[in-house]
Amino acid sequence: MRPDSVTQPGPSRRRSARLRDDAIRWITRRHAHDGEQAHLGRDRIYILPTRAGYTLLGIILVMLLGSINYANNMAFLLTFLLVGIGHNAMWYTHRNLLGLQISTLPVPPVFAGQPITLPLRLTETAGRAREALVLCIGSHATAPFPVPARGTHSARLDLPGLARGIYRLPRQRLDTRYPLGILEAWSWLTLNPEIVVYPTPIDPGAATGGTGEDDPHTRDRREGEAPDQIRPYRPGDPPGRIVWKAFARSGKLHVREAAGGQGDRLWLEWDAMPATDTETRLSMLCHQVLAAHSEARAFGLRLPDQTLDPAQGATHRDRCLQALARFRTDGVELDPGPAT
Amino acid sequence: MNRPATPASPHGDLLGLDLALIALPVAALPHVWHQPPWITALVVLAIATRAWLLGTGRPSPSLTVMSGLAVIAGGLTLVQFGTVFGQEAGTALLLVMIAFKLLETRNRRDIVITLFLGYFVVVTSYFFDQSILIAAYSLLATGLLTAALIQVHAGRSIPRRHLARQAGAMLLHALPFMLILFVVFPRIEGPLWGDPQREDSARTGLSGELDPGDIASLLQDESTALRVQFDDDVPPLRAQYWRALVMTDFDGRRWSADENRSVIDPPVAGDADRVVRYTATLEPTRARYLPVLDYPSALPEDVDLRANYQVLRDRRITRRIQYSAAADLGTPPGAGEAALDPQERTRALHLPPSAAPRARAEVALWRATHGDDDRAIIQEALRQFAGEPYRYTLQPPRLQDDTTDRFLFETQAGYCEHYASAFAVLMRAAGIPSRVVTGYQGGAWQTRGEYLRLRNADAHAWNEVWLDGEGWVRVDPTAAIAPERIEQGITGLATDTGEEIPGFLRRGDGLSWLQRARFGLEDWGDFVRFRWESWVLAFDPERQRELFARLGLDAQDWRSVLIALGVGFGGLALLTLVWIWLRRPRPRRSPADRLLQRLSRRIARHDRALARQPHEPVDAWTRRVRQARPDLAEPLATFAGVYNRQRFAPLSPDQRADELDRLRSVLQQVPRGRPSTTKPKRGRA
Repeated sequence: MRPDSVTQPGPSRRRSARLRDDAIRWITRRHAHDGEQAHLGRDRIYILPTRAGYTLLGIILVMLLGSINYANNMAFLLTFLLVGIGHNAMWYTHRNLLGLQISTLPVPPVFAGQPITLPLRLTETAGRAREALVLCIGSHATAPFPVPARGTHSARLDLPGLARGIYRLPRQRLDTRYPLGILEAWSWLTLNPEIVVYPTPIDPGAATGGTGEDDPHTRDRREGEAPDQIRPYRPGDPPGRIVWKAFARSGKLHVREAAGGQGDRLWLEWDAMPATDTETRLSMLCHQVLAAHSEARAFGLRLPDQTLDPAQGATHRDRCLQALARFRTDGVELDPGPAT
Repeated sequence: MNRPATPASPHGDLLGLDLALIALPVAALPHVWHQPPWITALVVLAIATRAWLLGTGRPSPSLTVMSGLAVIAGGLTLVQFGTVFGQEAGTALLLVMIAFKLLETRNRRDIVITLFLGYFVVVTSYFFDQSILIAAYSLLATGLLTAALIQVHAGRSIPRRHLARQAGAMLLHALPFMLILFVVFPRIEGPLWGDPQREDSARTGLSGELDPGDIASLLQDESTALRVQFDDDVPPLRAQYWRALVMTDFDGRRWSADENRSVIDPPVAGDADRVVRYTATLEPTRARYLPVLDYPSALPEDVDLRANYQVLRDRRITRRIQYSAAADLGTPPGAGEAALDPQERTRALHLPPSAAPRARAEVALWRATHGDDDRAIIQEALRQFAGEPYRYTLQPPRLQDDTTDRFLFETQAGYCEHYASAFAVLMRAAGIPSRVVTGYQGGAWQTRGEYLRLRNADAHAWNEVWLDGEGWVRVDPTAAIAPERIEQGITGLATDTGEEIPGFLRRGDGLSWLQRARFGLEDWGDFVRFRWESWVLAFDPERQRELFARLGLDAQDWRSVLIALGVGFGGLALLTLVWIWLRRPRPRRSPADRLLQRLSRRIARHDRALARQPHEPVDAWTRRVRQARPDLAEPLATFAGVYNRQRFAPLSPDQRADELDRLRSVLQQVPRGRPSTTKPKRGRA
């Protein structure tokens, strides 16, 4: 279930994208990285005409030629009025970004393949209501949103699902064409929230057919040597504790109950997962972590390079999931798809 | 940004279409009077259909249907106008295409294109009308189009009031740019292509021929022909003859002007006292003559003075022009010359052999009485006209056969052109070279705006006769029969003759308050129009050159233009900065803080070191001052106490006001000046 929603661009497109990327990097080289918060000052707002802007320019030129040809002073007046409006639009559009503050909020971790929602907060301090701002990363953009004067707006940028790992955000862009659409002002942001993508949970039992006495993944190891007790299934028992082997033999559901209370410490082991490739193992471990947590059991996680001691609770679960997400990866820049 | 090929929600992408459906018809409205009704009907139908589709949430018609309709409309336009180019046809096509584009609108880009073309529609309406009313209306239309553009790009539905304010502000902020560019943008003469003059825009003006009845038709025309501003004193009305056309050739019925006379230099004005300088604004006449005050002594560059003292421009006057000239009131053409050029003399004496036999007989009698005295002959003719049975009327009977004889001996009723024509024939019969001059005489002095307004109704015809040594002397036979016409202008006629003249000419007494109000309003209207026309519409390369020259710049030199642009926009930028600075956010201090600041300033005048530092708490500061100045201890202690209560205690508004009053009175207890005990220190904080 690894979504690959991003189509691979052709080589030439790739190259132009890379050139473009280098150009932007060169332009923005003097900007410091933003981290969690960015303040849009004059030094980082860029503005260029849009296609509509060039169209209007063409219309104005035709009007100017007509005015000259017909020596029509009122036509001159209107033409120059439009020139003035167009010129001032530059100012208006620029001011629509100027002085905004953008901060990232912690990105809630997701499982691989699930869409990511990037929460951002825009704060207006200059006392001017802002209109029609669009935040985009590559080809993914928010709907246009306003920011009230001296207020804040919480924007959410939806990104497609990703494979397991830790991601850095690529360069973001906040842009606006308000009010006339003839100019686009934008600012490149380098906000850097960490995006954590957990592995997709895969039930090891389901993956292997769930038969066989010695399935390694069910061979939980306990440190307190007390044997398990088997008792009949009661509604509400976590499915992870069902003794499937017994079910296969007798057709009756039984659950395994830890005998030693505190001593009942479950080790989830990398080596015990019935798969060979890393991602599948991580996915299975992920499933086990979730299962153990939902059974409210204390569990430990043993990975080839890391061992998390047994504990209980949501924090511990998240730490384990983080460990899975971070396994043998150090932050990849998220590929946002072809930039536009 | 990516836009989906087919919008999932058409209403999201059609944001602002409703406003576009209002703004575009408003922009197109002035065209209704200049386009064939079917265009109007088509546009209205298309827009109404689009509004209905939008209102009911239906999709717009398919592209195939639209293309078919567009081809049909283009064909109809072609059939109607015979072309799709040119002003009328082009505008018609533009309107139809915009209407169809609106009907077909699918996304934001379509709306934006139609709105841009909407600006174009506004500008094309100036082909037909350049009045100040249309200018004001254009502002409204432009504002609406801009508001629609803003709405389209706002990404959400914006309240109308907010939208209006935003569009209004954009327009207002653009006005300085408009003015600077209007003045500074280099103007060039003449069209870039084609003949920009519309074919059907011929206006009534003086015609190159004089036929009885010509001027009478002008008398019905209350539109302005000429407006004049005088540099200094205004000459008396009876001395103001604005000569336009000089007619020497007579075929027995019709006088005609000759545009092919040789060019001569304007005479050097003799007596500076009699020179009148003025600036005239002439409405388009589609003719080449320029009405000038008798007798022209200085003329603008692009006009010629011809041998018959007719002033001609090198091309027809197809739009309003402004010119400055000077006149020498007292020196007629040819003054001081002993004799008229023989060729000219022959021409000025020519009468068709069959013309006016009775008049010739009459003149022969006069000659017998007065002998060689030309002046006596002239006086005789004028005397004849002055008495019975000659009448001055604007509705004379029609003249058949030989117009001169009919008029002189039968109808004996007419106005300036009849008298001028008859007088010239009489003079020629007597052997005195004579000619007819047409132009304007009279007019109404506009006290508001201080200018003379000559209507087409002020058209007049008079004569010039050649007297050796004196030149072409002006004789106005109308002055003999109806002197009030000359003394007071054509409006003076009303009281005297009880004539049925057009209502607008009656300006004297006997008007109801309603009529007076109407005329007052009309004068105001003409004043506004005049300002608009002379300041805005008459601005042309010539005016621009003058303006630049007055600033010591050369409008033809790009460096000058750059300087002017730089100064203009630099000034604008400076003003903007000042404005921004004036409106900068300032921390608002509470009244108590302001009083504290005043106290600190007061104390600082005693000793600078005692001024309160920004970081210093009030208590600490007053303690410090009290140590240095025990004499001020009491008021300062009170001040600190009251200040703290005022700032920090929960008080009712009344109490707060009382406390503030106390602070003020304490402030008064601290002496303002420098007491003798402190060391003299110059300067104040």
